[in-house]
Amino acid sequence: MDKLTREQVMHVAYLARINLEEDDIEKYRVQLKKLIDDIDKIKDIKNYDEEFLISPIEHNTNLREDVVGQMLDYKEVIKNAPNSNGNFVEVPVMINE
Amino acid sequence: MNEYKTTVGIEVHAELKTKSKIFSNSANNYGKMANTCTNVIDLGYPGVLPTVNEKAIELALRAALVLNCKINKKMHFDRKNYFYPDNPKNYQITQNRTPIGINGYVEINVKDGKKKIRIHDIHIEEDTCKSIHNKNKSMLDFNRAGIPLVEIVTEADINSSEEAMKYLEKLRELLLYADVSDCKIEEGSMRCDCNVSVSKTEKLGTKIEIKNIGSITNVGVAIDYETKRQIELLENKKNLKEETRRFDDKTNSTILMRIKETGNDYRYFPEPDIPFIELSDQYIKDVYNNLPMLAEERRKIYLKSGINEVNVQKIIQNRIISDYLNRFIDKKINLVIASNLLLGDIAAYLNKYEIKIENTKLTDDKFIDIVNYLDSQKINSKVFKTILDDIMEEDLSIDEILEKNGFKEINNEELVDIIKDVLKNNEQSVNDYHAGNTRAIKYIMGQIMKETKGNANPKNINLILEDLLNK
Repeated sequence: MDKLTREQVMHVAYLARINLEEDDIEKYRVQLKKLIDDIDKIKDIKNYDEEFLISPIEHNTNLREDVVGQMLDYKEVIKNAPNSNGNFVEVPVMINE
Repeated sequence: MNEYKTTVGIEVHAELKTKSKIFSNSANNYGKMANTCTNVIDLGYPGVLPTVNEKAIELALRAALVLNCKINKKMHFDRKNYFYPDNPKNYQITQNRTPIGINGYVEINVKDGKKKIRIHDIHIEEDTCKSIHNKNKSMLDFNRAGIPLVEIVTEADINSSEEAMKYLEKLRELLLYADVSDCKIEEGSMRCDCNVSVSKTEKLGTKIEIKNIGSITNVGVAIDYETKRQIELLENKKNLKEETRRFDDKTNSTILMRIKETGNDYRYFPEPDIPFIELSDQYIKDVYNNLPMLAEERRKIYLKSGINEVNVQKIIQNRIISDYLNRFIDKKINLVIASNLLLGDIAAYLNKYEIKIENTKLTDDKFIDIVNYLDSQKINSKVFKTILDDIMEEDLSIDEILEKNGFKEINNEELVDIIKDVLKNNEQSVNDYHAGNTRAIKYIMGQIMKETKGNANPKNINLILEDLLNK
């Protein structure tokens, strides 16, 4: 990859909903660039099997029978949520839905 | 001035009728108390692994087959990455590169014949959790998270609100009769998004997506509104931007939700936790051969049996009635009478008491008898109405019910005597008849029916009456 721009770093941060401090942008730009360059090395492999990259496992997926198993009590479900309301997990209102 | 041409593409999400979810074994039972049908996989806990539900694959394959798609025999799943509270993994498992079906079509009836709406693809994915928005907070119910879905994407082949509605009705009928989904739009088990653009040239205009349309009729309303809105903007020299709008059924208008993210932002990549799925030719054949009888075939059988088009459509719209009627196709009964009963008095009874037909005492034998008795005019519809409650509620045969209600068929000897008496007591009418007054016979008929309390076969009455009058 030729260049990773500051804008691209900020865009990726936005997609992950991370607020970057001004000083961090350059730091992450360098780190992310190195990461992408490493991944780019895949392109140097000649005649690679694309399917191997999708799944390196030789056998196919074992399908599961359509049977209902044990489920969690709702109290367990909401236990780790910062906020809850009755049976529901509560989050800040999602605008622009 | 060139006319604007409307172009619409539709994406439909339909929930698959499985018992468990697509990647976990918690119940596909949306509508239960919030967050009672989940496990750690649905909640996206770290380290959990998805397992693929075989029934979901089968149902998606059925859908792909009834949509005339080419099947991707070797397929995998992909991760669609996005950050949003409805999906705690921060990615949705879907099929981006190898959708189960591609290049299909649905045929709809239009003014000048039939039109094929091409299906770009049908792919399998997991549903997200249900969010309920209050003023300041959003409430999440993960019961819906992981319910198996198929997303069916058309090409931009639809050119009017009418065509869009016809396509959706046809699609709903196909999925419903293939037992893929219960397609309840109002309950959210079938959801429609439309991409609408207008253009004066062959080049497509700016695509605007409309989400959140809660009924097929409203899809039509939304497309008409959006077409008008876009044309007005263009006529006022305003530029359109790719955006997502929401349909508001209170105002019958569309409201801006967001400027659309581009596909790249989803950073699709293959789901590494699920190896390939291969569908053998034999498996595809078996699934195809085991498809339930589809609506189109039912329609042909019903029309051939003499049921009128309006009633055929009414039956097709009610899968329960259609399935019930199908039990008698090979029983050589009069299907016209059978369908009239099911759509008329029996449907009214079931509605009145809010009861399902299988929870009544109406057995197949009783149904066959009642249709045959009406067909041979052994009883008339008036008698049927009188004994309907007993038919539905009593463990008795039709003959026993008729007897219980005092409807004993009058034999021919008794009938001759009754008719003779009627003729004797109505000499004037008999004379009028012989003088050529055809209306007189109706009066005589009425008197006989009154005397026999409807227990005599009208065909027999006619024969005897004719015989006696012409002696």
